[in-house]
Amino acid sequence: MKAEPRTILRFLLEYFDIINELYETQSKGGVIPYETLNLITSKHNTDIKSQLIDYKILSSVNDNYEIRTVYYNLIEFILSEFKPLLPETIEKYHVSISELFRKIKENINGDKVILNQRLTELANEIRTFYEMVEKNTISLLNETRELKANVKKIDYREKIVRASRWIDEYIIPLNKILDINHSASIANKLYDISEYSNRYRLNCDDESTRVLFEKLYFQLIQVNDNLLRQSKILTTELLPLIERIRTESIILTGWITFLKNPYKQKVPPMFESKRTNIYSNNTFFNASEIFEQFKNETDIYFEDEINTEEKWIFDKDFFTNKLKSNLPVEDFFKWCNKTLKEEYKKVEIEKFFALTTLAFDEDIERDFGKTPEFDKIKINDLTLTVPKITINKHGIS
Amino acid sequence: MEFPNHHRQIVEDLMSGKFVLPSERTFAVLRDNEQSYTYFFKASFNYDLKVTQDFIYLVSDESNEMLSRDVCIFIALLSYELDRDGKNFLERIQFSEFEVEEIENYFTNSSYIDLILSNKQLKDADSRKNFINTLNRRNIIEKTADSRFVFTSAHKFFMDFAADIVKFENVEKE
Repeated sequence: MKAEPRTILRFLLEYFDIINELYETQSKGGVIPYETLNLITSKHNTDIKSQLIDYKILSSVNDNYEIRTVYYNLIEFILSEFKPLLPETIEKYHVSISELFRKIKENINGDKVILNQRLTELANEIRTFYEMVEKNTISLLNETRELKANVKKIDYREKIVRASRWIDEYIIPLNKILDINHSASIANKLYDISEYSNRYRLNCDDESTRVLFEKLYFQLIQVNDNLLRQSKILTTELLPLIERIRTESIILTGWITFLKNPYKQKVPPMFESKRTNIYSNNTFFNASEIFEQFKNETDIYFEDEINTEEKWIFDKDFFTNKLKSNLPVEDFFKWCNKTLKEEYKKVEIEKFFALTTLAFDEDIERDFGKTPEFDKIKINDLTLTVPKITINKHGIS
Repeated sequence: MEFPNHHRQIVEDLMSGKFVLPSERTFAVLRDNEQSYTYFFKASFNYDLKVTQDFIYLVSDESNEMLSRDVCIFIALLSYELDRDGKNFLERIQFSEFEVEEIENYFTNSSYIDLILSNKQLKDADSRKNFINTLNRRNIIEKTADSRFVFTSAHKFFMDFAADIVKFENVEKE
């Protein structure tokens, strides 16, 4: 049963540590022995052997295992840990590229479908060729930097032997492939293809072919630039390797080790200079607080208080007349209470006291009785103790 | 209370992250008053004063890790390229003058170009020019003209670090 692509990718992510260890085992020994596979998986307390086989990540070779090429290349690419390829492996692209180019030239006016197919395949071959060269330069750079750093402290004689092998078997042949001045080099062939596609991207009759030539031309501009850079690295950095490994310095070894992963290393502490502010640290916040007040200014209106109730004014004449008409009043304060109730239905203390002022009217004749008597009058929540006052007469009436 | 001569200069220089160098008049004052300045920076700011025969500097809890890393990358690349070019990198850095153009040549043609392009302070000529000015402000280099400079003795701070990398790696392996 074919597994879901996402499931496989999730699996790779989840068990990357194990897969990475398997990758390292295979890189060193060519295969993953059955015992090693068991050891690695049991070390991580998991048994994922069946998934590794089901998801076609591992395939069995006799009693051992191997990471399938597609996954091997992927991990190699992710880790940027390429192994240098012998230039013979790269040289084969010379044949395929030359052959495709020859056939394109010979059949330029032939079947358009086949011509377009050849152009697409040529572009693919060039891309693969370039990627391989790039991988090889990176790996050769890493190997030679290792040799220069010599962290493993191998002796000078051994260093020379290794450097000579790198130069003779890898660097010089790769340099030949990339040497544009060498008529048999692939770089030279690519230069010819570039010139040819430049011509046909402009004057080919068929539009789809013209587009393919155009694509090929721009791809080659990029590839040729990059190859030139790789070639420069080979001549300036890799070819003088023997000369370079003559000197050794612990500091340079340190720097090469540091540059392998500069963002993962601890660095020496450098003082973090602090700016001394001549104003308070809170100035910004204080200022922003003030400005925020005016940010969304809302209009504020001041309105005069409108008194819906008319201010009550004591009408002395009216109540004096009322008192007169009720004479004689046996109990003045009770009368006040009763009158207010009749007039306003509700007795208010303010009105009550206003009304009681009538008792001080000079024209009134007051009788307090022989012995003082007191009554209690309740106005709202207030209970007043008041004397009993009888009013018999007002003025001359 | 009396402070040593150039006290203000000493505090300003160290607090702005400069390496104080033997060629400066403040260096001798600092060395003569090492104990009191160590106490002064510790008590006032909780900073450690480090005095070596080649430079004096302050260390705080917070370190400018990004700058330190970029300086390391810069010196590492320069050392590597000088060596690749057949020069004695240590002698050149220690004793001779550099032209900005020479630095540019090394950086633009370096096989570490991917690392250079991904570093904000080293990615192009303008960034590198600013970075060289930063090194100048920190007394790691001294500008002798607009486009020429020499490394000061403070470069040893970084060289010692590089040497330690290998030492620690070997210790870890043992």
